[in-house]
Amino acid sequence: MNRLLFGAAVAAGTMSASLAAATTDRIDLSTPEGGLLASRKISCSLEDGIPVTYWWHGEMYSRIPGEKDRMLFRIEGMNIRQCETVVDPERGTGFRLVSREILLYLDPETGRPLERWKNPWSGEEVDVIQTENDPVSMKTGFFPVRRDGKPYEFDATIIGNDWFTTGATPLFYLNPLAGDYQPYVGGWYHAVEMFSDFGQVDDLTDPSRHTAHVVLSWTRISKWLPWMKMGDRVGLLYVTSAGRKLDSWDQMGGTMREYIDSHAPLYRQPPPFSDRRENETSWTYFRKKVEPVPPRPRERP
Amino acid sequence: MRKTLLLATLGTALLSVSAIAAAAKTGVPGIDLGKPEGVLMASRKIQCSLQDGEAVTYYWRGNVFSRVQGERDRLLFKVEGMNIRRCTTVTDPEKGTGFKLVSREILLYLDPGTGEVVRTWKNPWTGEEVEVLHIANDPVNSTWWPVGRDGKPLSWTGSTEGNRWWQTVTVPLFYTNPLAGDYQKYVGGFYHATEMFNFMGDLDDLLDPTRPTAEIRVGWVRIADWLPWMQMSGREGEVYYHTAGVKLASWDELPEVMKKEIDANFPEYRDAPPGDDPRPNETSWTYFKKKVQPAQGGRSH
Repeated sequence: MNRLLFGAAVAAGTMSASLAAATTDRIDLSTPEGGLLASRKISCSLEDGIPVTYWWHGEMYSRIPGEKDRMLFRIEGMNIRQCETVVDPERGTGFRLVSREILLYLDPETGRPLERWKNPWSGEEVDVIQTENDPVSMKTGFFPVRRDGKPYEFDATIIGNDWFTTGATPLFYLNPLAGDYQPYVGGWYHAVEMFSDFGQVDDLTDPSRHTAHVVLSWTRISKWLPWMKMGDRVGLLYVTSAGRKLDSWDQMGGTMREYIDSHAPLYRQPPPFSDRRENETSWTYFRKKVEPVPPRPRERP
Repeated sequence: MRKTLLLATLGTALLSVSAIAAAAKTGVPGIDLGKPEGVLMASRKIQCSLQDGEAVTYYWRGNVFSRVQGERDRLLFKVEGMNIRRCTTVTDPEKGTGFKLVSREILLYLDPGTGEVVRTWKNPWTGEEVEVLHIANDPVNSTWWPVGRDGKPLSWTGSTEGNRWWQTVTVPLFYTNPLAGDYQKYVGGFYHATEMFNFMGDLDDLLDPTRPTAEIRVGWVRIADWLPWMQMSGREGEVYYHTAGVKLASWDELPEVMKKEIDANFPEYRDAPPGDDPRPNETSWTYFKKKVQPAQGGRSH
């Protein structure tokens, strides 16, 4: 789950009004500055360095032409993040978000994180690689003036006291696990992340509340995960899930808390602002964890 | 959007123990999610109203994309959707007291640039200009009982965190396509799609028996084969819909583009069907069959 990309889609903009000015009046969602503040309240907190945790859970299915979809796993995810105020001489006062996130593949029956999985198509039993992406962070941040020079816009639908956003990020790029000739022979990374965030307008525009209550719906369509060893087989995966921004890390489900305690203690806190590492994705993470299968020269008679 | 399916699956989902425990903790002396009758009542509040005959309108909006192997996903349309429904109490000597939900629904395809309702569409893969058939499904009905289709008592399948509840309902569909022939099992052509719903709201609102209807936020995603009117003739690929919406306080809150279209072309969608509507359900596929003459077969002598 790439919340950043979501942020990028919704907030192609920034926060410009100073926080001090904003604390007296309602946040005006129609201005670039107000829209940026709203995006920041949704993403994290108006206060620098306050850790905010998102948590969600759902199901993952296969989709293959000619067969009924199969529920493969239950999934549970978390992302812990913090924001800092950043100033750009040309684009104004904005914010930058740093985060790390986990997505667990759970046995649909027991609800426990899987270590091994019997691939029903290949019959092979494979090692499950749980997704741990660290970091998933912005490089520069969002500003009241977007990168293209246009003002930031908070692109939400508002009906009565409800606001909601739909941000879809279709991804199509060179796959770090594939070769150097992808435009010729294929292998592209091809996925889409779909976020819908929901909340209340009076909560979002209240300048005295540093963070907004958010519930979210997250859906993802992608190719097979590398560790499934599906190769070029036809088909895709989809995840459907829902969750919310928590009041505190401790509200996460027990499965995730136990996993973090025993496997990933770093995920009690977001990365520091000084963190300048490249973002991790499930694909780059896989590359670090699994040795490649070297191509074998074709045998000649 | 087929809410009815959602309802039908509620009874078959896993019981979330934590949800029930959390609901119990709130101590609201109203609707009890630990009992089948309570779950039924909550479901009815989510879907419609506890008051027989009261019309309730859902509204949602979002985007439709294509997904084709080897190419970047394309934004094909914006969509605007509505469903107007009402519920009536029904009794059965064996199943007990339930409710019948009757509804009709529209999904409009809009030009992603102008936001105007599209009438014809230039298919970018075939180059052909085709007529757009907007979704107008009348009726989309279902009946709910304290006992699910599987014969088990209805149980709460949602999650709760603090005062929030949400429910992820996934409906993979794989059945004989009304537009395909009699040998689908042999040569393919099955209807293959998934409906993904996330319903969300506040627990105190949902469990309060004095409020006839609950405030709902909904995320809806659908993956499906190409739409019949696209005339894709079995090409590889699929479409996905990514949308979000809310239950409206009144029909009048629908956006102008929808109200205008209803006034001009679908006047009956100002109200739900009558509570005792006996007609079989319409789907986009059965609707298409009524609207479009079959193509001449490619048989040669």
